[in-house]
Amino acid sequence: MSSKNSQRLEQQAQSLSRDIQPERDLWQGIALGIEQREETLPATNDKHRSQWPLAAAASVMFVALFGWYMVSGMQAGPSVQQPSVEQLAATMSKQHQAQKEALLVSLQDQPALTQNWQQQLSELDEAALAIKAALEQDPDNVALLKMLQNVYQQQISLIERVHAPKWRQI
Amino acid sequence: MVEQPGNIVEAQQRFASRKDIDVIAAAQQGDKAAYKQLYETYVGRVYALCLRLTGERTMAEDATQEVFIQLWRKLSNYNGQSQFTTWLHSVTSNIAISYIRKQKGWFQRTFNIEDSPVMDDSDAGSAGDVELDRYILRLPERARHVFVLHAIEGYRHEEIADLLNMAVGSSKAQFHRAKQLLTEWMDDE
Repeated sequence: MSSKNSQRLEQQAQSLSRDIQPERDLWQGIALGIEQREETLPATNDKHRSQWPLAAAASVMFVALFGWYMVSGMQAGPSVQQPSVEQLAATMSKQHQAQKEALLVSLQDQPALTQNWQQQLSELDEAALAIKAALEQDPDNVALLKMLQNVYQQQISLIERVHAPKWRQI
Repeated sequence: MVEQPGNIVEAQQRFASRKDIDVIAAAQQGDKAAYKQLYETYVGRVYALCLRLTGERTMAEDATQEVFIQLWRKLSNYNGQSQFTTWLHSVTSNIAISYIRKQKGWFQRTFNIEDSPVMDDSDAGSAGDVELDRYILRLPERARHVFVLHAIEGYRHEEIADLLNMAVGSSKAQFHRAKQLLTEWMDDE
């Protein structure tokens, strides 16, 4: 890239509009968000304090398990027996179940934003079952393990999203 | 005496600043109507920055709301020493970057193609049909953040490194990469 082109690009960037209007009115949500945080700041903080470790623990657990598997796979010599993908999936499922239940318990007093979130959760459960069945046929398939992990992440994020503060709906 | 156009502009700017100061002071005292006025004045600026940083309309809308919700409490920190817009852009960048971090899980950031473009061209129209804007939104995330902060917002690479938790050299490299990609795309058109 010539310095002339580079200079021209930087000039164009500086002349870009600093003002782009959003396509919808965001104020209602902001006003509600301010109100809600003012009213429930201490309570919200307490809630966040109780939920955050669960969500974080779930992420850390997934990453740790997956990382451990990949690293042990690379380091293991022929004499070292590495756990199979299937075993790892079983451990991951067990941990996920515990995390999910704990998260649901911690959020049980908060209203959900959608009516059909439990149905969505069940559909994800079915997807996880299908992946686990595929893993039984193909126990060393790392791609399936990643898919399973992805489904679990989606479940956690679905639970968190439907219990998000009201202002995010607006 | 006929006032020169330059003087008119200057006078208007002075008036706007004076008016802003009164509105900001009222909002700092907890006047929500004044705060709404501030929102109406600056939402375009905040949204433009959020859109360019997130690269995606829905996320930019959420980030804009988050900025104004947090700004309500942070407003008391503004002491008038700098231009309000300078302070606002700095607060917006910080909140938007941390919002993006929160929204993207560790797994996504690590495995998902951290460097792949995040949007399709259908979102580009929301950036005001400016060709360069369309390409900026197509940039890989890190390169986009660095380009927006350095080339548009005027941040120094040291400041960007601090904000994005990266080395100064990485910020410069990402900026170079962004420029290369943008030039290529624009030349191809």
